[in-house]
Amino acid sequence: MGLPTKESILYDEEGSEDDEMVDMNVELPESESESDSDEEGDVKLLEPSKKAIYNREGLDEKLQDIIWPENAGWIHRLSIDITQEQEVDVNDDLKREASFYTQALEGTRQAFEKLQSMGLPFLRPPDYYAEMVKTDSHMEKVKRRLLTEQKEMEEADERRKAREAKKLSKEIQAQKTKERAKQKKDEIESVKKWRKQRQQSGFARDVNDGELELPFEDSKAFERSSKRRPGVAPGDRSGGKARQFSGKGKKGMDKKRKGAEFKNSKFGFGGRKGMRKQNTADTTDDVRAFNKGGMAGNNKRKR
Amino acid sequence: MLNMVSLLPHCTKDNKVESKSSKGTTLNELVELKCCSSCLFFECRKHKDLYLWMAKCPSVPSVKFIVNAVHTMEELKLTGNHLRGSRPLLSFSSNFDNDAHWKLVKEMITQIFGIPKDHRKSKPYHDHVFNFSIVDGHIWFRNYQITVPHNESVKVARGGLEKMTLIEVGPRFCLNPIKIFGGSFGGPTLYENPLYVSPNQIRALEKRQKAGKYAKKVKAKKRRKMHELSNPLEPNEFADMWKE
Repeated sequence: MGLPTKESILYDEEGSEDDEMVDMNVELPESESESDSDEEGDVKLLEPSKKAIYNREGLDEKLQDIIWPENAGWIHRLSIDITQEQEVDVNDDLKREASFYTQALEGTRQAFEKLQSMGLPFLRPPDYYAEMVKTDSHMEKVKRRLLTEQKEMEEADERRKAREAKKLSKEIQAQKTKERAKQKKDEIESVKKWRKQRQQSGFARDVNDGELELPFEDSKAFERSSKRRPGVAPGDRSGGKARQFSGKGKKGMDKKRKGAEFKNSKFGFGGRKGMRKQNTADTTDDVRAFNKGGMAGNNKRKR
Repeated sequence: MLNMVSLLPHCTKDNKVESKSSKGTTLNELVELKCCSSCLFFECRKHKDLYLWMAKCPSVPSVKFIVNAVHTMEELKLTGNHLRGSRPLLSFSSNFDNDAHWKLVKEMITQIFGIPKDHRKSKPYHDHVFNFSIVDGHIWFRNYQITVPHNESVKVARGGLEKMTLIEVGPRFCLNPIKIFGGSFGGPTLYENPLYVSPNQIRALEKRQKAGKYAKKVKAKKRRKMHELSNPLEPNEFADMWKE
């Protein structure tokens, strides 16, 4: 039963005289069954109001009045009926649209078959140009929008890919460092082991045999490169950078980097510093610091 | 809704008619003057609700719909396009034949939306399809363009029909029938949608729900007061224990 407020829905339109009012309550359940669910954002009566008019005879009569004669021919009406397979849920946009689409497609197919059997042309030949419903400028807009959408999608894709690659590389890096740490640990371990062995064996016969057994014996990891690098003071562990930078002073290009490097070379890596001031063969040959006799004072002194 | 004018080449668009109670006769006169057989009258109320009158003039029935879920052709999402004035195919879902009023509506739709054959403004070929289907007691309208791969459109084989696709052109809308009258814009009511609630009532209901706020508050306060009066607190025996 409808709520009392909603019973008065009778739309008081100017012409709706209810003189032909035939209240057919018997018919109501049919119409109820096909439309009982709620429409999106639309309040509905839960129960059909009983007062609603349903004049079946009148409707049929009117239909007979306006209907086209049977012999009018299909070509005049071009209408196709398609059975909907199942009830579609109105609130599911995608499904609903899909059902409409399939209905239209099916209808078109049938209609085309009919037209074909009649031998009538129905498709626009590719060279038939005429005014379209939407203007060219509008279609241009549509196209542009499609393109931008596609571009945006591609860009988003790229961004995502980059992000993933970054993540992956990070992972790989982490794995590598882990591996390295592990290797280092292993090596240290093996050295310890070797030491212990040596201790146990009492340093006696290690001169030849003990060392030969060891696994890292021929690996180059612990081998000091015996090659003497030129220009590096004995005990300088900076890899030859100390000299390189100390000589040139502050006229470098990249101050920050240079500063760090300089500091490294000066303070970093520990090592012996005592031998730094000693000459090597290179420094003795280096005559940049000498005066070449251009100065007047020097000349005077010589005389 | 001017989209409809571009979709139906056999129509003549007329001036706006003031929406008052005597519009029925005016419209009938107008239709007669223009030598038309049917009439679509869009009525806008309160700038919000769009009603559509579909009438077969002058003496035969008219249907009043409320139109909602309107998407016009100007929307950029709908990418199809078709010839202006080519005759559409009309595809109906089968539940139009279930009931008398749907049958009537269907007949009216075929006569109004179908472009007459050999109409002077119509173009040959069929490249779009109007889809009408009843879901949830509403008529849903869709307009699709028919596209067939180009090389096959010269000689249409079975394969061409198989590869046919549809692209939506628009507009799309949803018609909810309210009433069917015996005459055009008037006459005895033949059908009335039992489930219809006018948007005015919906809005009124919403407003009432919103408006009840203050009254509810006052009521709740009053009730609380009454409650407190009816069962007063027992005097606490330890109340002045520490005051001495």
